[in-house]
Amino acid sequence: MPDLDAIKTEVRRLLADGVVEVVVAFKPGDTPLHPQPAFFHSPEEVDSLVHNGLCQNNLATFLTHLPKTKKVGMVVRGCENRSVNALIVEKQKSRENLYLLGVPCEGIIDWRKIVEHVGEAVLAVHENSDEVTVETREGQFNLSRNELLHASCLRCAHRNPISADILIGEPLPEGDPNLARVAVEEFESLTNEERYAWFQKEAERCIRCYACREACPMCYCTECFVDHIEPRWTESGATPAGMQGWHIVRAFHQTGRCTDCGACERACPMDIKMTYLTEKLNNDMRKKYAFEVGLDIQTQPPFATVTLDDKNRFSV
Amino acid sequence: MNLILEKHALPDLLQSWRGNYDVYLPQKMERFSHFMPLTDNSVLVTHEPHNTRISPKALFLPMTEALVKFTRFGGYEDAQQVIQPRIIFAIRPCDAQAVQLLDTSFIQEAYTDPLWLERREKTITVGLGCHEPCQTGFCTTVGYGPFNKADLDVLLTDMGDAYLVETLSKAGEDCFQGLPCASDEFVEQALIVQRNAHDQMPVAFETENLKEKLEQNFNSDYWETVSQSCLGCGVCTFLCPTCFCFDIVDETQRRERVRNWDTCMFRTYSLEASGHNPRPSKVERTRQRLSHKFVYWLDQVNQIGCTGCGRCVRYCPVGLDIRAMLRQAQTLPFEVSHAG
Repeated sequence: MPDLDAIKTEVRRLLADGVVEVVVAFKPGDTPLHPQPAFFHSPEEVDSLVHNGLCQNNLATFLTHLPKTKKVGMVVRGCENRSVNALIVEKQKSRENLYLLGVPCEGIIDWRKIVEHVGEAVLAVHENSDEVTVETREGQFNLSRNELLHASCLRCAHRNPISADILIGEPLPEGDPNLARVAVEEFESLTNEERYAWFQKEAERCIRCYACREACPMCYCTECFVDHIEPRWTESGATPAGMQGWHIVRAFHQTGRCTDCGACERACPMDIKMTYLTEKLNNDMRKKYAFEVGLDIQTQPPFATVTLDDKNRFSV
Repeated sequence: MNLILEKHALPDLLQSWRGNYDVYLPQKMERFSHFMPLTDNSVLVTHEPHNTRISPKALFLPMTEALVKFTRFGGYEDAQQVIQPRIIFAIRPCDAQAVQLLDTSFIQEAYTDPLWLERREKTITVGLGCHEPCQTGFCTTVGYGPFNKADLDVLLTDMGDAYLVETLSKAGEDCFQGLPCASDEFVEQALIVQRNAHDQMPVAFETENLKEKLEQNFNSDYWETVSQSCLGCGVCTFLCPTCFCFDIVDETQRRERVRNWDTCMFRTYSLEASGHNPRPSKVERTRQRLSHKFVYWLDQVNQIGCTGCGRCVRYCPVGLDIRAMLRQAQTLPFEVSHAG
C-alpha cells in the first residue's frame, strides 16, 4: 500500500520550493467511498491529501483543464502516467511543465460493489493488498480486495508508473500482459449476432450524460462530434441509433490512444461496459502495429502517422 | 383510509391492475433498479439501500421523445404519442414531490405542456415511504421527509410482512378496494416507524439564509473552489428528479422534431449562435446548477428546487457532494436584507 506520509512530504516540498504551482491529487470526499480529485496550491493544504484504492478517477483528465504553461505536479498511478505520456505525445502538455509523483497501484476498488455487500452506511474503509475492511453501523466486514476491483484493473499490465520524476514506494510485480488479450478473445469468440446483441444491450442503457467522455483524459476536444450540429454525425437523442452511434464512434476515436484505465466505466451512472470495445482496438494496435500507448513521449499512435513508405497505404 | 396489504398478496394485486393500467415498478436492471412496465415475470425491487438509479421523472419527461413528424412537401403532423392510464408503484416520496414541483414549470397559466399534462392526469402514484432512509438522501433538510405525502394517491409503509396502505385520493382508494382496514394499533405502530425514519436523518446543511448567501456571493471565489474537480458531465442533472431542461432538435433523417434532456452543465447548453457563451466555464455552470435549485426556484415559486433524493451525491464521478458544497456556502459572508 502506498506510503501516504511520503507522498505528502514530497507534495509539500514541490509546493514550498516552487517546483510546481499546483499538485493534482485526491482529498477525502463527504463519505469514505468517494474521495475527490483536488488541487493543492500550498503546503498547508496538503494535510488533507489522500491516496487509496477508492480514488477512482484518472487524474490526467484534469491536465487539459489547466493552462498549458502552468507547472503542474500530479500523483500518478500506472495508467495515469501512461495517459499523461499520451497527452504529451499529442502536444497537450510539455514534459518540462510537469512533475510526476509515481505511486505503484494495486488496483481501483469498485465502490458500488462495497455498497452491494454492506449497504451505504459506510463509516470507514481500510485496505491492504488482500483485503478491504469496511466499517459500518452494523459492524465490520472483511471483503476480498480482488473481488472488488474493476475489470480494467484486474487485467492491468502496467501497475507501476513508467516515467515518474520520483517513485514513492517499491515497484510492484507487473501484471500478466496476456490477461488483456483474454478479455478481448472472450468477446471475439461470440458470433456476429451475439456481439451485436451484447453491444446493443450495453449501449442502449445510455442516457447521453457524457460522463465517460469527461472522465477520459484523451477526450479533450473543444467540440465533440456529438455536439456538432452541421453536419450532424449522429442522432442527438437517447434513441438506439443515437446511443449506438455515440458508443461506437467514441471507441474508434480512442484507437491507439486508450490506456485501458477504465475511468469511463467507473464514471458511467448506468454501469455500461465500454472497455470491451476499446480493449479490442488496443489489442489490434498491439497485434498489427506492436504499439502500446503511453510507453514513451515520442511515438505517435499508428493512426496518427503517415509516411511515404507505408506499405499498404489506407488499408490495415 | 388506512388498510392492510399482506406482502404475499401484492403480486396478485399488481397483476389485477394490468387490465386497466400500464403498471410501472422498480425492477432489476443490471446492477441497479429501474422503473419498468409490469410483465408476467416482473420482480419488484425495493430492498436496495437507496432509490432507483434514474428518477421516475423520466416517465413524465422521457429522455427523448418526438413532438412533431414532418411530412413531404413542407407539412407536419403531431407525433401522436399514445399515453395509457397508468399506475406508478413504489415511487419514493422525494420523487413524487419532485414531479409536483415540476408542475410549476410545465403547467402554467400562460403555457401548459400538453404531453406533461396528459401524463400527469393519467397517472396514479402509489408511494413507498422510506422506513430505512438512504445515507445520501437529505429530504428532511430541504423540508420534506421519508414519508412525505405530496402528490401521492397512496402511501405505503413497510411493516415487515405487510404494508400499511394510506389512501390519499379517490383514485388511490379504488386501486386498493377490498383490503381489510388497519387497526388503530397497527396505524400507531406505522407512525412510530415513520417517525423513527424521520428522526434518523441528520440535518445535511442549514437552509436558513442560504438563498441570500448564494445570491450575494455571485462573484465569490467560492464557485471556483466548489467546481474545480467537476468534470462537466450530465450525471447530476440527468439523474436529478427536479432538473427538467430540454433541447429541441430537428432530426432531419428521421423527419422528426424531438425533445431531448439537456443540462446546464454542458458547454453547448448556453452556447449562442454567435459563438459567445455566457457561461463559458464549469465555474458559471456549477453556479447555475446550485443557484437554480436554491435561489431561482425560491424566487419563482417559493420552494427549494431539490427534494434531497441524493442521486447527485451518489453518482457524481468525482465525488462532488451538494451537501458539502452548501455547507461551505453557509460559511460565506452575507448581509441581512431589510427590504419589504
